[in-house]
Amino acid sequence: MDRGWYWRLGLVIGVTLVTVWLLMPSYYSLFKVDRSERNNLAAIEKAMPSWAPPAKYRINLGLDLQGGIHMVMRVDTKTALEKRTERRGDQIARYINEKQLGQVTVDTDVERLQLTLTAQDPSTMDAIEKEVLATFTDFTRVSRDGARLVLTPDEGQINRFRDESVDQAMLVIRRRIDKWGVAEVDVRKLGTDAIQISLPGRNDPEQAKELVGTTAQLEFHMVDDTTDFFRQHYQNSPPPEGSNITLTTADGFPQLQGPNREALLAYVKDATPQGRVVMLECIASATRKGVCDSYRTYLLEKEAPLTGESLTGADASLSQLNEPEVNISFDAAGARQFEELTDKGVGRRMAIVLDDYVQSAPRINERIGGGRARITMGRAGGRPLEQWLADAQTLALALKAGALPAPVTTGEIRQVGASLGDELIRKGSLAAAVGVLCVIVFMGLYYRSAGLIADVALLLNGLLILGGMALFNATLTLPGLAAFVLTLGIAVDANVLINERIREELSHGKTPRAAVDQGYDRAFWTIFDAHVTAIIAGLILFFTGTGPVRGFATTLIIGLLASLFTSILVTRVIMTYFVHGRNAQTVSV
Amino acid sequence: MQILKNKTNYDFIGKRKPALFISTAINLIILVGIAVVGFNFGVDFAGGTVVEVQFNHSVSASDVRQRVESTGQLHDVSVQSIGAASENSFLVRLGGVTQLTEEGGAKASQALQALGQIDPKAIRVDLANGIINVRSKQPLDVAQIEKTVEGTGTGVEEVRDIGQAQSGDYDYQVVASGMADRIRGALVQGQAADKPDFEMRRVEYVGPQVGKQLRNRGIQALLFSMVAILIYVAFRFDFKFGPGALLAMLHDVIMVAGFYLFSRAEFGLTAIAALLTIVGYSVNDTIVIYDRIREDMGKFKGKPLPEVINIAVNDTLVRTILTSGTTALSLVGLLIFGVGEIRDFAWAMLVGIIVGTYSSVYIASPVTIWLDEREQARGKKAGVNQPTTA
Repeated sequence: MDRGWYWRLGLVIGVTLVTVWLLMPSYYSLFKVDRSERNNLAAIEKAMPSWAPPAKYRINLGLDLQGGIHMVMRVDTKTALEKRTERRGDQIARYINEKQLGQVTVDTDVERLQLTLTAQDPSTMDAIEKEVLATFTDFTRVSRDGARLVLTPDEGQINRFRDESVDQAMLVIRRRIDKWGVAEVDVRKLGTDAIQISLPGRNDPEQAKELVGTTAQLEFHMVDDTTDFFRQHYQNSPPPEGSNITLTTADGFPQLQGPNREALLAYVKDATPQGRVVMLECIASATRKGVCDSYRTYLLEKEAPLTGESLTGADASLSQLNEPEVNISFDAAGARQFEELTDKGVGRRMAIVLDDYVQSAPRINERIGGGRARITMGRAGGRPLEQWLADAQTLALALKAGALPAPVTTGEIRQVGASLGDELIRKGSLAAAVGVLCVIVFMGLYYRSAGLIADVALLLNGLLILGGMALFNATLTLPGLAAFVLTLGIAVDANVLINERIREELSHGKTPRAAVDQGYDRAFWTIFDAHVTAIIAGLILFFTGTGPVRGFATTLIIGLLASLFTSILVTRVIMTYFVHGRNAQTVSV
Repeated sequence: MQILKNKTNYDFIGKRKPALFISTAINLIILVGIAVVGFNFGVDFAGGTVVEVQFNHSVSASDVRQRVESTGQLHDVSVQSIGAASENSFLVRLGGVTQLTEEGGAKASQALQALGQIDPKAIRVDLANGIINVRSKQPLDVAQIEKTVEGTGTGVEEVRDIGQAQSGDYDYQVVASGMADRIRGALVQGQAADKPDFEMRRVEYVGPQVGKQLRNRGIQALLFSMVAILIYVAFRFDFKFGPGALLAMLHDVIMVAGFYLFSRAEFGLTAIAALLTIVGYSVNDTIVIYDRIREDMGKFKGKPLPEVINIAVNDTLVRTILTSGTTALSLVGLLIFGVGEIRDFAWAMLVGIIVGTYSSVYIASPVTIWLDEREQARGKKAGVNQPTTA
């Protein structure tokens, strides 16, 4: 036994112990805690001994095995782009008008994403073209034919806009799911225009689709505080019995308040004046997150002159007076519209509406130019400052995320019920166990002692795969289980190669020692090459696959790495012990 | 224990021509079959809806089918029993993804035209996404739009008010609801609302565009991995070995594709995983033989290459069969107890393992010989034509 052998033995024992240690969180999350707590890190942490690794290093069960919903939502960037191009056309027309460059009509071709500017007086077109292209730099010229100028958004803008739409859609989706209170949600971008969402433990795809599929719309509506609509309606036709709708006052304005959204809306529906719309504010429950205790009415002008699309930023901070405020900024076009709006509306309230819910309705104190506005939260009601600041932050987030310009459609939904998941685990494990057992028995019979050594390596290999998966926080899926078995089957190939080589060397009349050494040395590169090629295929599968297939690739790659370790190092350590250490005269292969 | 003789001396190389011929013929048949008949694409690639339903009492597939079709609104439904008969589990498959069909779209758009002064051209039906875009001169009531479309038989998930367009017109979007809804609706007919006799265990729904994307990405992955492995083999061995490994790989992939073609097993993401695994695995066997050929080329200098290769193939035959055998052995459990796609996967792997072993002997090595012969022939020709300056 040389020194190198002891080092190698130490390494093998060390790796084994670390692997077992790494598997603690997986073991606890799968077998020790209640299944409803399976994804609850804190609960797993609590159940484990203190020396165990952090609970996040554990094998997750894929949605196909634990039940849940996997969704891919596609962001309809096409519609968003069409709408945006239309709106920009509108802005261009107004700009030309304001600058008194001439009279133009703007036509939008949504299919081809083109704007056609036609000047009444062809001689003005040169100046118009120059000015428009200099100001609206996100457009490029397609063609110019006398008094007709055709423009299209330039490629870079389109791509940036597309990216932004998807990012914003992701924000909104995440925020809505947070409201839903689902733990362990995974929301990530998929390709250029899709978002992948995993909701473990959920089983109502329609509900989920509804939750994330609807378009969040941020709009600014002027509040109509001139009429006494709510008070009059309440007095003239009292709300139906049992609806619990009451008349209250907030910020000095009469409002209706009730616990039931539908009842409130139904009560005011037919009485709402022309050109006005009633929208509700959600009075959030203090105890249950994301639930509305009751709703409050606002009478708004139906038209929304400004939408979230013009918004470029929003963040919460503390003012010099130590009051929470939300600073918002608009793009150039939005700024102009905002200025116009605030100019006409000094003294009135402007409602910020997200997804048809009034988020806040600050009063306009003065005309606001320059595209930067401040919403001061005030400090009424004696609530602690932190709460006000939190409110400001929520509003800022809503403003930012609500600027979702693109509708979202469902691309893909896969939902597996929990009972099916359990069944698949059961059947999958049985299938895996049978396969592995077959291999173990065969190796033992065929190669005797050397086969048993290979079996030890095989079991260790299985352990290493699981440990590796825990370390990388990988997800075990049903195809992953298949990969697990298959990898063990391939792993044993390496031992077959080595053992066959040893047999061959023995038949050439070599001593057991020489035969074993030669067998390992000669087989090494063959095994190495074979593993590398399989890993290459696995890596490509990993980077291109999604969901369960990705799980398959993960398991395959970790398994192959583990197999390299066990077949080359582990079995050799044991073999060497018997052949060199025991100085065996024969080797049982 | 030793089942197989270690010293074999089969003349593999001598039979390479008929073997190559038969392999090529089978491969061609499969390729033609793929082009003409096509795979049985699963939901992953074709798009559509799959629902797994389990009943709490014994029921036959045709009963389920009848129930699904009873409303008269669902056509081309395929119902397939899965698992043991006692499990009463069925897969209900539908090509459609949303309830919006060409016919339904036409009806809906007619009904919408009647709703207001809407120009027929202002209604665009987007079948791929299950969306009807409506542009109206007057503002419309969202609830009324929903009612109108529902009235024509197309389920509506949501009507979106997209706001006013530049022209002053109003834009709306009608989103049709998914097929799963309708399947559930059909199954639940005549049942107590709170106690249906079935459970929807799994719902899968893939939009046609996503399906196409997934398919393209799968094919890309396959090509990438072949190229990557080829580069590795060419780099580690000799360029002479590269083409043989590549052809063997192609051969195996086509054979496994043939399995999916002829068995009519669903061709989806798992099938791509099987093909990719075979790409990686096929080359394993080839490498074992190549390694040996390279080793023997040094040992038997002077012997012609075909003879060296024959010796190498014979010498490694036992281990080639054993490695394939152990891998196949690991699949036994999956073959017996695997469910659905996983069982298909196991069968595909088994086919892949067998043809992989075959191809490393009969495809990879002969191609190497052929390349070598060509090279030598060219060398000779060049030698003859060289003007001698003596």
